[in-house]
This record gives sequence, structure tokens and C-alpha cells, in this order.
Amino acid sequence: MPVMFINDQPVDTGEHRTVLQVALANGFYVPHFCWHPELSIVGNCRVCVVEQEGRGVGIACNMPVAEGLRIQTESEPVRAQRKAMLQFILLNHPVDCGICDKAGECTLQDYHYAYNGAPALSHEPKLHSTKFFPLSERIILDNERCILCSRCVRFTREISKSNVLGMEQRGDGMRVRPVEDRTLDDDPYSDNVIDLCPVGALLSRSFQYQARVWYLEPTASVCPGCARGCTVQLWHRRHEWRLKGLDGSHNERILRVTPLENPRVNGAWICNKGRDLGALFGRPRAGQALLKGRPVLLAEAIDAARRLVRGAGRRVALVSSWGSNEELRAFRNALADRFTSFVKADHRPGEGEVVEDDLLIRADKNPNTHAAQALFGNAPADIPDDTELVLVWGEGADFSTLPRGAKIVHLGAWLQPENGYADVFIPISIQTERHGHYTSFEGVVSAFEPCQRRPEGVIDAETLFPLLAAPPGSDT
Amino acid sequence: MKHLIPEFEHLKKRLPPGHDATLLVPCLRRVQEDRGFIADSDIDGLVEYLGVPRIQIEEVLSFYGMLRRAPIGRWHLQVCHNVSCSMRGAERLLDDLTGRLGIQPGETTPDRRFTLSTVECLGSCGTAPVLMVNEAYHENLSAADLDALLERLD
Amino acid sequence: MPGRKVLMDFEVTPDSHSLAAYRARGGYQALEKALRTMQPREVTQEIVDSGLQGRGGAAFPAGRKWQGIDPDDGQPHYLIANADEGEPGTFKDRWVLEYNPHALLESMLLASYALGVRHAFVYIRGEYDIPWRRLDAAVEEAYGEGLFGEDILGSGFSCDLFVFRGAGAYVCGEASSLLGSIEGSRAYPRNRPPRMTVRGLYQAPTVVNNVETLATIAWILRNGAAAFRAIGTERSPGTRLISVSGHIRNPGVYEVELGYSWAKFLHEDCGGLLCNKPLKAVIPGGISSQVLTGKDAKVLTAEEVECLTLDHEKLRSAGSSLGSGGMIVIAEGTCMVRLLQIMLRFYHHESCGQCTPCREGTGWMHRVIDRIVAGEGRPEDIDTLHHVARYNDGTTICGLGDAAGYAATAMLDNFRDEFEYFIEHGRSKFGGNLECR
Repeated sequence: MPVMFINDQPVDTGEHRTVLQVALANGFYVPHFCWHPELSIVGNCRVCVVEQEGRGVGIACNMPVAEGLRIQTESEPVRAQRKAMLQFILLNHPVDCGICDKAGECTLQDYHYAYNGAPALSHEPKLHSTKFFPLSERIILDNERCILCSRCVRFTREISKSNVLGMEQRGDGMRVRPVEDRTLDDDPYSDNVIDLCPVGALLSRSFQYQARVWYLEPTASVCPGCARGCTVQLWHRRHEWRLKGLDGSHNERILRVTPLENPRVNGAWICNKGRDLGALFGRPRAGQALLKGRPVLLAEAIDAARRLVRGAGRRVALVSSWGSNEELRAFRNALADRFTSFVKADHRPGEGEVVEDDLLIRADKNPNTHAAQALFGNAPADIPDDTELVLVWGEGADFSTLPRGAKIVHLGAWLQPENGYADVFIPISIQTERHGHYTSFEGVVSAFEPCQRRPEGVIDAETLFPLLAAPPGSDT
Repeated sequence: MKHLIPEFEHLKKRLPPGHDATLLVPCLRRVQEDRGFIADSDIDGLVEYLGVPRIQIEEVLSFYGMLRRAPIGRWHLQVCHNVSCSMRGAERLLDDLTGRLGIQPGETTPDRRFTLSTVECLGSCGTAPVLMVNEAYHENLSAADLDALLERLD
Repeated sequence: MPGRKVLMDFEVTPDSHSLAAYRARGGYQALEKALRTMQPREVTQEIVDSGLQGRGGAAFPAGRKWQGIDPDDGQPHYLIANADEGEPGTFKDRWVLEYNPHALLESMLLASYALGVRHAFVYIRGEYDIPWRRLDAAVEEAYGEGLFGEDILGSGFSCDLFVFRGAGAYVCGEASSLLGSIEGSRAYPRNRPPRMTVRGLYQAPTVVNNVETLATIAWILRNGAAAFRAIGTERSPGTRLISVSGHIRNPGVYEVELGYSWAKFLHEDCGGLLCNKPLKAVIPGGISSQVLTGKDAKVLTAEEVECLTLDHEKLRSAGSSLGSGGMIVIAEGTCMVRLLQIMLRFYHHESCGQCTPCREGTGWMHRVIDRIVAGEGRPEDIDTLHHVARYNDGTTICGLGDAAGYAATAMLDNFRDEFEYFIEHGRSKFGGNLECR
């Protein structure tokens, strides 16, 4: 394996082909704007400069590695050139960090503090450009903040292949613009450009002015939107920054969702559906146990369900494809021998939703079908007319198709009309309220962590299943 | 644009196969020569004919100075105002033109007869100053030449 | 007469650009000879031996560039004649296209044979109308006589030529950026590595040569490398087409044998300065030498010019270069501040916008000099211009940013008093004069 030297220390170049990659992989940070590991090399920001001994300063992102290459990342010429580049970048940048959502996680801000720090050399008036330019229903563009690194354009060309974004004009009049006959709404991956943007030029409308990012923290989770199982980060207020004046739901709200980079599953991206998990998890919750629509204590509902599980003749269970691996196992261990079980698709493609594509989106709109079918088979639900009990776990079952004489025990998380139709309704927790794992369609197991409190009166399905298996009257 | 496709097909014969996008700039030039500018429908036609994404065509259109998406006056007067021409009277020529036509560079006369532009070096430095009228160069242009020239352009 | 001739070795008549006239002066004999008796590598070797240097601005040895391509590697190869002559002050390639187009075409056939090229291109700047018509007519004549197309002269060698007209972008004169234009996209200069001879047009090995460089090939093959070397100086063989403009009595394109006395050329061949004014400065090789790197186009002062000869090494040692051969002669009494303003406006207008320092820096310098010329200059402006110029030097993909910086640095270094005067008094030391009156 070729060996080169960075700041006089020998490093293995490994599989890397450029000096920038080798430097980053070995803990020598080289600042960069336009370079991104998943995108083509354009070398336009000119910030990732390093000094190649004997050959002077050049950009590291396009510098091939070679045996014995000697690189300095912090030499005087490197620092001076970097600083000059940052001054060029800031020449027409509005430096309106005080009202910019990117402040706090802005690469330009970080680099300015780390590598420049000097006041502007220029006293010329700044060039103005368009602000709040709508790229889609989801994204707005601030051309004054844009540093023209072209990451977003390359993303729509090379990754999502929607070809919606491009550059118009040239020189310092150059601007990112959408193609004239379409908007970025045509790109189901569009929100990735918000993360890709190293500055505050591309902003999420739903997140705009919602929070300063330093008050937020992410919780690792898995997107339940389809069988891909993309790993995500759910952003909410930091524990120590919770405000007493706000109600619980505000302190716990999911304010935005970003990808959790994961080479085995989703790489650096997620689709827009994943960005909207806040709304999915924010739907009105069911918090009240019911018997034929009549509010009862949770223990009373569990006891009623136990009686049905014990007493009924033919019993069928519709197992949730949104249950975690842990919940599915708990069901199998506690209840599988009492039911003929079928795996149910809790969610189906919605209207206008991309059903399937070559990048990430899968036609199966449920996160854990793979694990559920491994335990309970993949046979389509076949419920005989003489069935006496149907246990419906999760969403997606059409109660009107169930046998007329069958009793229904429904375990659900959301406020829905059919809750009151069931003989027994037990409210269960959702993904953001517990630990767990999903298994993707490729068999990759990913973990999710809780970031919200389980509401009063709601039980975890994993806890519930052994309780349902116990005789009536046992402890709950 | 569709009626030009046979011409484009003819051009293809001297190109290596499989690189139709090479025809983009030549097609845009030819369309502009035909119509006077490039219309939205031409862009749609080229998307289909060349199989390139529309954004690529839009990017190209705003990159090259000679391509335009809106009609201009019948006579496009372009004055080179680069170094050599300025040293040989281009600024006086431009002043003369703005005075006579009553328009500034970038503007079109109300009767749509003339559009005036400034342009960077046209490669007529040795025969400066130069005025480009549509495709044609008028070099070593004196005030008297300009009189006669404007007369001819109706 | 400024020495011996290679490209202008005939009398221009109304039809001297025709195929018949070209044949009558020995044209296409070199092609026949090469196709019948020479291996492709022998053609390249002849060019290497000739010592021919690129005429576009960087003066890189043409043969060495060709040797970057293996004609037998089984890949397609491309040859492009760079006729995107947009460098202010430069109009020499236009002369070749208008008056000797077949020298270019025969040379391109020879080069294509040497490099294993099946499809060749001429990238001609969009504004050139007559030069394009002449070239286009010549191409059709050549096709008509079977000099292009399949099985040329029964040799089994086939080659097509596509004349590609640009659409108005100075940056296309940079060899890698015109590739983008031919590929149907924005003309952005490309990062090296890879070199174009490794990955160029359509990702295949490509040679881009300037028109004048290429057009010389046929002469070299016809007369031999030794004959070419006998012209010019030892390290700068051959001739250069010099296009002379500005405050000069007889502007135009001259073929000058390299090593010729500069003072003699200016004062005798070009008839001396207009209005009998003394010489103030010369921009020797286009205001930036065709967007190629190197400290090109540095302005030379009158004293420097008087003792120089016209060749690459002498000019390089004087801190400048012959660049693109676009010589702009400036007489005493000219306002250099306003000249620099025009140059900086030009670079700002033509920056492709890709690299940060050039995109921002050219506009920055333009706004500063506009302010100075408007009488609102500040003493620190000179330092600011120096700073921007310094950090446009070698920091961008192509040389456009560098060139803008060199223009500013050269003017500031040589004529600093004029800038200081303008800033201090809010007006030009020379009344803002650009013309020689």
C-alpha cells in the first residue's frame, strides 16, 4: 500500500485516490466546500488547498495520491491562500447569520472562525441577488448566501437524477435556478440539498425560523416510511433547553429529520417522506382504552382482551409490519400458538407518492415486513367466516371485511374511528417512545431510540403481549 | 425548429456516433438564425431531438453571449469597446451611436429597427474600430462611414 | 521584411485561399507523402524534431503534447484546432482562416494521421463570420476532392472534420473549456489531472492545438524539420504571426521570424507610432495570452522594448511572453488607469464563474477600478488590487483569473504614479486619454 506523508507523518493511502480523502481519513482536517464524497469532483471552491512539497499549493480534492508524496496542510502559504479564498467567498455574502437558520451548523461560519477571522478587506457595496426564491413547496433559495459550490446542482444531476437544478448566467452573476418548466417538487429527494448546502442558501420551509440549531439535538431513528429502513436523525429540543413555559408536546416536537449516514442502507440520503416523519408521528394519538367505544381503564381493557383470547374459538391475528423486531418476537413468544397469524401491510402507497425507484424508495411502505414475514410467513390474510376473534395490531386493516360474527381486539396508536368499533381497543406506543429495531428488506437491522415520553394510558406492545397471554384476572 | 431537423441530420454525418449533444450549440445557433431568437418551443423541440435534459439547454443559453431568448431589433449593432478598439475611437463611435439612435447599449429603438450593444474583442483590433451589424463586420469605421452605413440599414 | 516566411509565403490574391491555389504552391503534397511513405509515429517525430512550440500562448512544445497520445491504444482520439481567437489584441488565426485555410486543413489531416484521429474539429469563435465562411468553403472543397471522409487518397486512412462555431464566450479559448462547449454544455475549464491527452473530449485522449501551430505542420512535413529549425532562433524555431494594433501606423498581421529585432519591427515594418508619439508601453502577447498560465502579457515599457528581440526565451527573461502574438502598442499620453479599467471589465465580463477567486476577484477589481476612474479612489485601493491579483495567481482551474491579476499587477507596478495621481486628484493624469491624438 502506498505511503505518503502529511505534515511529516507517514500515512497509508489505503483505497483512497485523492490527497483530500487520505487527509480526512487520517485525521488531518482540510476544509472544503464543493467536495462531497458522494458527488463528482469539480474543484471550484478552491478552499481545500494543501502544499505539495516542491510543487507548491494546490487543491487536495483533485490531487492524486502517490508513493512518497509529501503534503503540508497547515503551512504558511496554505493558510494565506485559504484565508484569501474565504475573503473572496465572503465578498458578496450577506453575513446575516443572526437571521439564518444555518447559523450554528454552517460550514462557512466555522471556516471563517477557524481559518480567517479577519474583518472584510473590501469596502465595496455587496452585490444583491434574489432572496426567498421558491424552489418548491418545501425549499427556498437565498442566492445572496449561495457560494456557488454546485453541490445541489450535482445532486439533482448525479444522485436523484431529476435534473431540476442548474446554473444560469456566468461570473459573479451566476445563480442556481430550477429548470423553467418544473419545480424541485418533482424531486422526491429534494430536501437532501438542504443538508448538502454548506451555507444557509437552501432552506427548509417547514423548519424556517422554527429553532436555533444549538438548542436542538438529534435522536437516532429508522424511517418507517418504506422497507428500505433508512437511518435518520430526529431533531428536537435538547433536554437541558426544554422550556417550562411550553407544553410538553412543544418541547418534544420533532422539528426536522435528517439522514443518519449509513453506507449499508441509505448512504448520505433520505427521501422527502422521511423528512416529514414529524408530521407522521405528530398525528393525534389514541390515549384511552375502550370497550365497544366506552372508555375504560387500561387494566380493564387488557382483562377483556384476555378473556377473548382464552374464550374464543377460531382466532386470527393480523400482525403489524410496523412492529419492532422485539415486539414481533414478544408476540410470537406469548401469543403465536393461540392465533393463526398473517402479516398485514399497515401502510400502502399514498396518493401522489413515489411507489418505487432505483435509489432508495421501496414499494412496500412498511419498515419491518421482512422481520414479520420471517416469523409469520408471507401468506396473504385468509380469514375463515367462522373466525370468532380477530386481533388487529396496527393500522391498515379494513374492519368491514372481517367476518361479521368475529370479536375484534384492536391494538392501535392513533385516534381513528375504528377504535370505537372494536370490541376491545388498547392504545399502544409508537416508535419515538421506545427502543427497538427494524429489519430492512435487505435484512439489515437498524436501531431506533426514544425521544418522546409515552403518553399516560398507553402501553408498549412488547409489554402487552405477555399480559394478554396470562389468564384473566392476573396482574397487569 | 422541426423543419431544421434535416439540416441537423446532415451535420451529424461528420460527428462521431453517439454524441448528439454536440449538436446543441450548433442547433441553437441555427434556430436563432432562423427565428431571430430561441423560443420556448425550440427548447422543447431540442430536448426531444437531442435527448438532453432541459436544464442543460437553459444553462447553455445563459452562458454564451450570442444566444438570446427574446427578439431584438432588425439590425443588431455591436460596438467593440475592448482595448485596441478603445484606443482607435470606439468610445466616440459608441457616443455617436447612442446620440443618433437615442438609446443606450442594451436597448432597442422604439421602431425596433436597431438594437445597440457593446461587445468585447471581436478580433478586429488591427482594423479598429469595428461595428458588427448582425453577422457582418464593418471595420475601420469613421464617422462618415457610419452615416452611410446607417442610411443603408432600414 | 521581418525575416523568412512559413505561413505567409505567397502573395494574397482574390483566390489565393482556394484549394487550386494552395495546390499550385505545393499544398497537400506533404499529406500524400505522409500517407504513402510514413508511419504515424514518424510524423509525430518530425514535429518533435522541428521544435515547434504552441502558438496559442503557452509555447508548449507541440510534439511533446502529441507524444502524450498513443495512436495504437485502440481508443478513439480527437484533434481540435482552437480557433476561438478571443484574446484582446489577437487576430492572427483569423488571417490563417481567411487567407490560408488549406494549410490548416492539410495540417489537421497530417496531425490526425499521426495521432490516430478519426474525427477532428475546428472550434471557431462564434463572432467570426467571414473567417468561418472561408474555412467552411475550404472544408467543402477538400471533401469534394476526397481529402476528408473515408479512405483518403486511397490510403485506407479516414478522417472527418466538423467545424464547430462557438456562441460568444471568451473562456472557450481555454482548451479544456471548449471541450464542454463541444459536448453541449457550459464551457467550464477542467481540472488537471487528468491531462486532455489522457481524458479530453468525450472522455477520450484529445489534442487541442492553436490554429497557427497546426497550420505550420504541413510546411514542416513538406520541407522537413531541419528546414524549420533553420528559421528563427535555436530555442524558438520558426516564425510567429504577430497581430499588431493600437497606436501604430500600420496595424495588421505580420509573420515575423523569431529572434527579429523588436525595435526594427515596430519602427520600420509597422511604420512607427501614430502621430509620431514616443512609445509608452507594449502589451506583447494579447492582454492575457489566451487564458494560458505563465506570466504572459506583462506590459513592457518603452525602454525594455528597444533592446529586445521577438522570441520566446528573450521575452520570458524580460518577465513577459509572446503569448498569443497579439501586440498592442501604446503611445505616450495614454491613460493607463483607464486601459486597466477596460481590461478588468473584460475579465469580469468573461469569468465563467466556476472558481471562487476569479468569479469574485474579477468583479471586485472591476468595481474598485470603476470607483477610481469615477474619482472616488482611496489610497488603499492599490493594495487591494494587489491583494486580489496575488490571490488570483495560480489559484484557479484556468488562467483567466491569473491573467486578470497579471494585468492589474503589471499596470500597477509600471505606472503606479498614474494610479496614485488618479486617486489623489480624482482625475486622470492624461485626461483619460485612450486615443492618440
